[in-house]
Amino acid sequence: MKKFKILAIIFVGLFLLTSMVVDSEDADKLVGVWEPSNKKIKVKIDKISGKYYGKIVWLREPIDPVTGKPKTDKNNPDESLKDVPLKGFRMLKDFVYSGNGEWSEGTIYDPQNGSTYSSVIKLKDENTLDIRGFIGLKTFGRTDVWKRLIMKNKK
Amino acid sequence: MNIKVLLFSFFLVPLLMVAQDEEDYSMYDDLEYADEGATTFASPKIIGLSPNRFINVAWDVQSPYTMNTSDTIGYLPDASWEIKESSNVNYTGGLRLNANIPIISRNNIVWQMGANYMNTNFSIDDADSSGDPILSELNRTSLSTTGLFTTVFKPLNDKQFLIFQGQADYNGNYTFTDFHSFGLTKYSAAVLWGKRPHDRLQWAIGASRTYRVGELNYVPIIMYNWTSKKEKWGTEILFPAKANGKYWMNKNSLIMFGYELEGGSYHLEGLSNNGNSFELRRGAVRPRIEWNRKLVGFFWLNAQLGTRINYGFTYDELENGKEFFRGFFGQQEIAAFSSLGTSLYGLVGISFVSL
Repeated sequence: MKKFKILAIIFVGLFLLTSMVVDSEDADKLVGVWEPSNKKIKVKIDKISGKYYGKIVWLREPIDPVTGKPKTDKNNPDESLKDVPLKGFRMLKDFVYSGNGEWSEGTIYDPQNGSTYSSVIKLKDENTLDIRGFIGLKTFGRTDVWKRLIMKNKK
Repeated sequence: MNIKVLLFSFFLVPLLMVAQDEEDYSMYDDLEYADEGATTFASPKIIGLSPNRFINVAWDVQSPYTMNTSDTIGYLPDASWEIKESSNVNYTGGLRLNANIPIISRNNIVWQMGANYMNTNFSIDDADSSGDPILSELNRTSLSTTGLFTTVFKPLNDKQFLIFQGQADYNGNYTFTDFHSFGLTKYSAAVLWGKRPHDRLQWAIGASRTYRVGELNYVPIIMYNWTSKKEKWGTEILFPAKANGKYWMNKNSLIMFGYELEGGSYHLEGLSNNGNSFELRRGAVRPRIEWNRKLVGFFWLNAQLGTRINYGFTYDELENGKEFFRGFFGQQEIAAFSSLGTSLYGLVGISFVSL
């Protein structure tokens, strides 16, 4: 009987440990470089202190046609951030893995209008994300398709 | 030794941290898709477009004006008519509600459904004592529009798109406790094909079935939305329904200046007999200046000030309620005429928007 109890505890422990590892592996599938459907930027998503953040690492048009200088976050409602370069700007913030290939509780920032929206991310397949930005209710939002990018010859 | 350690801590460690943060972004220049890239579709928006209103609550009011009305004897469309009654309209105004909810909103299709309600009350001097049935009916009741509409934006590729709009309006002097026949619902529709050459321009051409000037009409339409390079100036045109210039004072404040055609065909129950529908065909041009201002978050104020210029205020008797198209050349009889003096108008509303 005692042996059975010990075996049961070991089995449950292993099961929980395996689940946590698998869950963590699933959660980290978000990490990588992604491209929105408009192909104007590339966003690198990293895990920082258990949450997921994405920053702009590439711009198709890096130079502002009006100023002739590298693009900055000129539409940011915060005056002090208007001169911050867009390259390196963290536009996805605070995503938490909520299971079933979905990350929630995060925000997405649109540099074209300076607005920050609530956001959820759904992994459709290993290399495709559905990212929805919304205001208040998910109904008031829009979904975009992002594709995974990799270093050349890494396939 | 301790001083050296301190110096290292204060100066070199932060420098090393900065160096770590300064990523070499050139490594992202030459990436490839893990499988394949997403298809790029034309966005329904351009940079600098006025806020898209999901929900809007507004109040519209006009300054006093004179309303002249003919006898109800029937006239040819281009006939001259004599004034039977001339009255002062002290008050014209009412509530406007509009909801526009996305059903599907993805990069490859946007489908929205909406509902609107608009109410216009008239307060006409001596309407009842004049003995004029039209003035009395307008004064005694109010004109209401309750509508449902749908909009589909379908990008064909990264540059071209189609827009379809359909609308069903239930117009008349009913109340919510006294509905009239739903057979009198007015249907409008528009189809556009367009291009979005770049992020600051989209244009389209199409055709519509509309009641914008009161009577049923079929008209070509042109859309031209443009924003300047500096994202300050621009246009938002859906000709002939409306045309506006715009100027973004800052990201939270937008001035628009232009005009809008506004109207509809309203069933007047008290004047409808023998199964016929007596309809007021009301249409007006509204040149105005409009101020949109962010209040908090995604809530914006919109205020308009302008003039309401009468385009048409005529009456048709529809046999068995059956709609007809008069167009420019139709000779169907007009039951009666009214002419309205120009008035000032103001509108104040609050909207829940998306930028």
